[in-house]
Amino acid sequence: MVHLPKSFLGFFPLYLGVEIALGITILNKCSGVYGILGLITGHNLDFMQWLLYITSILQLVMYSKVLKHIYNPQVLLFSLALVVYCLDTLLTCFFTLWFSGQWFSAKNREFDNPNSQTHQSANPGSSSKLRLRGDSLTSQSASQSTEFFFTILLTLLALASRFYFNSILLAFVQGLIRHPKYSLDIDDVEQDLKNQNWLIRNWKKAQYISYKWCRHYLA
Amino acid sequence: MPKLFRRIFLSNRPSGSRVADLETRWDPYVTLRKLQKYQITKTDACHYGFLGTVLLFVFFVNPAPWLAKLAVYLLFAVLFVVPVTSQFFFNALPIFTWLALYFTSSSFSAEQRPPITVQVLPAIETILYGDDLSDILAASLNKPLDFVAWIPYGLFHFGAPFVVAIILFLCGPPTILRGYAFAFGYMNLLGVISQNLFPAAPPWYKLIYGLSPANYSMKGSPGGLGRIDEYLGINLYTDGFSNSAVIFGALPSLHSGCATMEALFFSYVFPKLMPLFIFYVCWLWWSTMYLTHHYFVDLMAGSVLSYVFFQYTKCFHLPLPEPSVYSRWSYGELRKFSVWQTDPLSASASDIENIIVPAVENSEMELNFLDNSETPSIFDHDRSVSRSSATSNISLEAQDDLVSSSRTNKQRID
Repeated sequence: MVHLPKSFLGFFPLYLGVEIALGITILNKCSGVYGILGLITGHNLDFMQWLLYITSILQLVMYSKVLKHIYNPQVLLFSLALVVYCLDTLLTCFFTLWFSGQWFSAKNREFDNPNSQTHQSANPGSSSKLRLRGDSLTSQSASQSTEFFFTILLTLLALASRFYFNSILLAFVQGLIRHPKYSLDIDDVEQDLKNQNWLIRNWKKAQYISYKWCRHYLA
Repeated sequence: MPKLFRRIFLSNRPSGSRVADLETRWDPYVTLRKLQKYQITKTDACHYGFLGTVLLFVFFVNPAPWLAKLAVYLLFAVLFVVPVTSQFFFNALPIFTWLALYFTSSSFSAEQRPPITVQVLPAIETILYGDDLSDILAASLNKPLDFVAWIPYGLFHFGAPFVVAIILFLCGPPTILRGYAFAFGYMNLLGVISQNLFPAAPPWYKLIYGLSPANYSMKGSPGGLGRIDEYLGINLYTDGFSNSAVIFGALPSLHSGCATMEALFFSYVFPKLMPLFIFYVCWLWWSTMYLTHHYFVDLMAGSVLSYVFFQYTKCFHLPLPEPSVYSRWSYGELRKFSVWQTDPLSASASDIENIIVPAVENSEMELNFLDNSETPSIFDHDRSVSRSSATSNISLEAQDDLVSSSRTNKQRID
């Protein structure tokens, strides 16, 4: 069994961590809207970009709805949010790998091009003696290895924070499921969803299924 | 005018209430006596220690004449000691610290500065957001769009902090302005520190120089705002951005940070207008990218910084606004948010509210309708009846009883 955090940053209650995690995620999911907006400027999207932007917009709506209930949480809604967030984490890893591949392969092509401006002239390995940073104009720019280092570092930090926020949400939903105040006996519930419209029916169904999964793995 | 002011702001003033009163004394001994009785906490030590360190650094590094620097610091010391000015100036200390560091940043020599990264931000933007969003949104230009982009980025941004501060002071609960100054100042201060420690080229650099190496002898660029200068026949933005204090300060975007902070504080006090504030932030994000001043990742960094500082300030500094009260003088008492007592997971299992009750047909299957205390969330517009109680199958009368009983057990410390 994986040990989940008992508090946010070792000090604050979990709900604060969830509030911050969802808020930051919502901000980031706005990228979907701007990605789609790019179509107006005549930019074409490939399949993976469409997938990323559409899922981002859907999650933006979903997390906004969930965040409204952070002080009065509903275990069903948060169970669904957790399942979506976990899937989103996996999807984020996949997209990160995919688009990293695209970026770095594009960079490789640029390096193969002798006319490219991208070549960083300040290659520390090519210099026979150490020079003071800033003593020449070229040394004021980051070397290619520094550029790569920070690109990879920031990408990994973004992923690491994503995993941490996921663990906070897991711990919070576990707390909800285990707390007597939020306990549900779902087997006793007769679901009368026949008269509801398609969207609400499936929304509720998704919540019940998510809750069952969460209870199975977290309770 | 005074009559109108009295009618709008003072007509509902509770009798005997002093929470909205301002300090009107000029005697410095009042402040000194307070200082004698003051006992410093760990949090305050960190707060003043950090700001003091930055101010000391600025004092030594700023190239202005020593006498001029001393005069400015003494002037501020006087403003801090005189009670009538202290209530505004001392609480704005994080803002002054940010401004001091920002205007000193241009004097740092190239030897002291870290190397400039040119490729990191476009790379991160593509990796995390699937494309070079800022590049795409700046691909199609036209004159009307230039003006639409100019309004939030080149106009509102510079006046909005003052307008927001005045409105918060008049319409928000007393002491909210302190919280705003704290959050706004710290967000900008950490933003400028980050811009100095991690210099990164903005999108306009990529358009002019490609991804070729940058250096500190390069001038800044107004980006798309240069077109506004041309249209209006002025040189305002070209001059301003060419000689910016932090030319390679793309990460984070403080335009985005400021807009987000303003939107969060306004949403806190006027939750019903939140869609309008969200629209403003989205508008500013678009214009920032359209004018080639920031990558999308910079905008996110600025907004995340604001959100985190707002959350901290909300939890530990801000007074709770009362619904439908839009005058500081209408408050009879100040209540603050209790981080620990608001925790939905903290309720005791022995509480009557926590008894397990089987869910019934047609119910929302949630038993937390009893939990109905006021929250400081900018998202909870209707604080009177929770969604769960409004949709449960219990009769409205019963719900009212439950709501009123839960209110007696509210989760906050008043």
